[in-house]
Amino acid sequence: MRASRLERLRDGALPWLVPAVILLGWQAAVSVGLVSNRFMPAPLDVIRAGWEAGRTGELWTNLGVSTLRALAGFVVGGGIGFALGLANGLSRLSERLTDTSVQMVRNVPHLSLIPLVILWFGIGEEAKLFLVALGVFFPIYANTLHGIRSVDPGLVEMGRVYGMSRTELFTRVVLPGALPSIFVGLRYALGIMWLTLIVAETISASSGLGYMAMQAREFMLVDVVVLAILIYAGLGKLADALTRRLERACLGWNPAYRSA
Amino acid sequence: MLRDAVRPEPLPEAVAADPRTEPRSDPRSDPHRPGGPAPSPAELGRRGIAVTVRDLRKSFDGNAVIEGLNLFLPAGGFTAVVGRSGCGKSTLLRLILGLETPTGGRIDLEGPAGSARRSEPPKRIMFQEPRLLPWARVVDNVAVGLSGHGSRSARRTRALEALAEVGLSDKAGQWPATLSGGQRQRVALARALVSRPGLLALDEPLGALDALTRIDMQDLIERIWRTQGFTALLVTHDVAEAVALADRILVVEAGRIALDLQVEVPRPRRRGDPDLARLEGRILDHLLGTPQG
Repeated sequence: MRASRLERLRDGALPWLVPAVILLGWQAAVSVGLVSNRFMPAPLDVIRAGWEAGRTGELWTNLGVSTLRALAGFVVGGGIGFALGLANGLSRLSERLTDTSVQMVRNVPHLSLIPLVILWFGIGEEAKLFLVALGVFFPIYANTLHGIRSVDPGLVEMGRVYGMSRTELFTRVVLPGALPSIFVGLRYALGIMWLTLIVAETISASSGLGYMAMQAREFMLVDVVVLAILIYAGLGKLADALTRRLERACLGWNPAYRSA
Repeated sequence: MLRDAVRPEPLPEAVAADPRTEPRSDPRSDPHRPGGPAPSPAELGRRGIAVTVRDLRKSFDGNAVIEGLNLFLPAGGFTAVVGRSGCGKSTLLRLILGLETPTGGRIDLEGPAGSARRSEPPKRIMFQEPRLLPWARVVDNVAVGLSGHGSRSARRTRALEALAEVGLSDKAGQWPATLSGGQRQRVALARALVSRPGLLALDEPLGALDALTRIDMQDLIERIWRTQGFTALLVTHDVAEAVALADRILVVEAGRIALDLQVEVPRPRRRGDPDLARLEGRILDHLLGTPQG
């Protein structure tokens, strides 16, 4: 009993061992003076900066603004990508009509549109929403399409023989079959979502985490810059953890996703 | 015990006769059959669908697979179709099930006399692979066979009954991925049977199983067929399996029926029965002695 609890503790702590060692080494290096804290603040300085920003409310406002932008862009771009992926996966006509165009646009790096987007929308909310939506669209679209295409045709035939209606065939066979692939798209999309938003906020914004980091750079507040970077890491991890949980709930039938 | 019934093509006599009045030569009605009282033929055929195939043709991209095939399957019979791979036996089964459209000729399915069109028993197929939905629990997979008829709880009850019939009651709440190959195929059998079909087509359903599991499955299929009385059509390349299970064996060659044999060995059949072995030998000789079509 004791041994197993200890083992569980060890297994739980193991993934955090490397970050902890890095943090300690970093703190030690700055404290001893190996690294100048004008270039790299010590972890304790970053925590202090975080505390300060949290106390004044600046951090929460910016975090809230960024999260809202990310989610709005994700819902719009992901929604369109999902719908078009479904349409093209289910209908040859729709695919022949749109897939070539989508593939052409896909090869344009969406961040290269920033100058154009600023000309169109200025630095308002629309610019960020547009860029995030565009970035999120492609992975969701491509993986939804691929997922539907790779559904086992034997299962679809089985569904037909057993008298499933078109709706039933879709909800009970095609969509669940495509789900693992759709989740892959979701995880890619979440990564691209943060990346796009941070770049867009860094270049053109008057609020948000990227803006906070850029402001801090102007005033040489290295600790706030590092704080912003760490918050990105945390947000990315959070999004990933949520997706994992969702995957485990939706794909429990698949041995590859079952928790060990 | 064996009576050959090699019928001359193109027209087997049974097709000419009205299927409803055709006398059934059912070996199970033999009063000397060992084992319990035999169900009467009328009772056995009560849910079976009779199949009449007339001058059936099917070609894929100009290659004829079935060429002018005639066949009558009486309600409640167990017919096996054997042949080399590529002879058209699977295509024949898919045509009868309506999974392919014939290039020419016609197929008539006739349900039990008096049953209204809507209440006609369905036709079901068991594939070589189980084709279970991996994301549905075992009991929900079986309920797929009811194609949405009845309330949710009624479907579940019937699915559980069908699972009990194949001896898998304890697996009802599991994912298909946790079952063995033989268990999955039994779930597929329960799914095929839960709607009480009038015709069950078996497309080499045991081909992927190991020898012992296959024998268990054969016994299970035979037992359920005898209690439920559906028309069974088994496509197989395993002649021993065909001989063990069927009343009648059709050997298909180049899209035609080359040999039509009755198996009049009483049930339950013992494996290694000399009559069965002799029949199996005859069919194998026929299959191996002819050039591949």
